[in-house]
Amino acid sequence: MSLLKVEALTKKFGSKVSVDALSFALQPNTATALIGPNGAGKTTTMSMICGLLEPSNGKVTLADGGDIRKHIGFLPQYPKFYSWLSALEYVEMTARLSGISAREAKKRSEEVLTYVGLGKDMKRLTSTFSGGMKQRLGIAQAIVHKPQLLLLDEPVSALDPIGRAEVMELLKELQRETTILYSTHILHDAEKVTDQVLFMKEGRLVEEGTLQEIQQRYANPRYSIEFVHEAEAEAFAQSLAEHAVREGSNVTLPIDEQLPTMNALMALLSSSRYEIIKVERESASLDQIFMKVAGVGEFTASTAR
Amino acid sequence: MNSLQVLLVKEFRESWRSFKFIWIPLVFILLGVSDPVMNYFMEDILKAVGNMPEGFQMMMPELQPLDLLMASTGQFQLIGVIVLIAVFVGTISRDRSSGTATLIYIRPVSAVSLFMSKWIVAALVAILSAVLGYAGSLYYTSVLYGSVSFKDALIMIVTYAVWLLFVMALTVALSAAFSTGLAATIAIIVIPIGGMIDSIIGSFWNASPWKLVSYGVMLGSDTALYDDYWKTLAVTFGLIIICLVVGVWATRYNRSRTKV
Repeated sequence: MSLLKVEALTKKFGSKVSVDALSFALQPNTATALIGPNGAGKTTTMSMICGLLEPSNGKVTLADGGDIRKHIGFLPQYPKFYSWLSALEYVEMTARLSGISAREAKKRSEEVLTYVGLGKDMKRLTSTFSGGMKQRLGIAQAIVHKPQLLLLDEPVSALDPIGRAEVMELLKELQRETTILYSTHILHDAEKVTDQVLFMKEGRLVEEGTLQEIQQRYANPRYSIEFVHEAEAEAFAQSLAEHAVREGSNVTLPIDEQLPTMNALMALLSSSRYEIIKVERESASLDQIFMKVAGVGEFTASTAR
Repeated sequence: MNSLQVLLVKEFRESWRSFKFIWIPLVFILLGVSDPVMNYFMEDILKAVGNMPEGFQMMMPELQPLDLLMASTGQFQLIGVIVLIAVFVGTISRDRSSGTATLIYIRPVSAVSLFMSKWIVAALVAILSAVLGYAGSLYYTSVLYGSVSFKDALIMIVTYAVWLLFVMALTVALSAAFSTGLAATIAIIVIPIGGMIDSIIGSFWNASPWKLVSYGVMLGSDTALYDDYWKTLAVTFGLIIICLVVGVWATRYNRSRTKV
């Protein structure tokens, strides 16, 4: 049974369609990455799921129904806190607003603040916090009421590599207790914690599946051979006719039934007298896949080579 | 109303920690004290710094205690109310535009709690300031000019408190409905300029919130006004309720305008 169901979700601002008939489902205790270029409608989608924006069409349903706001935690891309409250006071307040009793709220707040690594700073005013600390505080307020669904908008984009690794590690742990939907444009980070990838472009869902599936679909593996002499590269490319593409002294060719394995290629090459510098098997990097799915076509063609 | 209680604590903390509970009452105390003291020493002040020609005769008006309370009320109306509007006109709209409201709006909190917590704290700051301002004014008036009856003072202060409930309900409702700039513009037009219009052509009607304050002060000397006073009080309470309803509605309607 899926925890969250999004059906034909649409949001129009005037004549501009930000989210266009988006449908997907989230399984319990999974982490889903919402990926797409800026302006793809990721934040608008999240705003609609957590009830800040009224959808123009379609609906969002949580498995056990009722007021969705009781069961979700949300971290916006740039969380803003009341500067005159301490971290503990802030998290306590948000916990109580989510319907937790006063005593329980205090206990839970101290727990989650320690959990996200703000144990020593919980009595400090939020205005004194650094960017990374604010992000942790944002996570603390999002999980303090043990939500069924955790929504995170670009949780790592503003952080340095250390902060990113730490936050992703936190998400990995949280995934055991809750369902996570987070948006990002850093596929590399998505690799570690994601069960499912939803790829959005111009408000529509353009790709869906596990990261491995998408990677396979777009990997486009090929051989790349570097020759010493350009003439030999040309001759070799000619001998393989339509399959090979030469660029300078480098030849790339697809992996197909003619040359299914590296060994077959090596056999072919060693039977010739060409002088070779390097032979390797290439596949598209995550960044290249991102650009390909995002439809930056021309750019991908040249960078994939 | 558990969430109202939590939000009230938050609003009190804000107003306390940003010193609103201290500096705004101080403004009102200064305004309240200035008229009785200035008027009492006016002759001496003029003698000392006025550079008056030899033999110049001054006729200082014989001021009654009530005149000074009216003057203080005028100060509150002219300066104090503008200060209150300026401080509280962004109370909801600024939370939205800065994005601090986002993390509150995603929780199961009713628009009634959100709006009422803002209004109650704004009204309390305003009423506390006015009470202290009047206390200062009454103290110096009774010391320098003569005492005012307790009943008159009480009616005057309570009436002014009702007026401030109205001013703050309108200000916070505007803050819920519009951006800070627009809300401030409208509030500044409606409250003081409305008062001016009411004093210029207000003789055509006898009940409007802007009359409430002067009725409250005049009741001390003119009991014939009671009829109009009750009518005005009823009109003002009616408008307060309208402001609250509109404010709650606007808070709910504008939920999506918070910065994500």
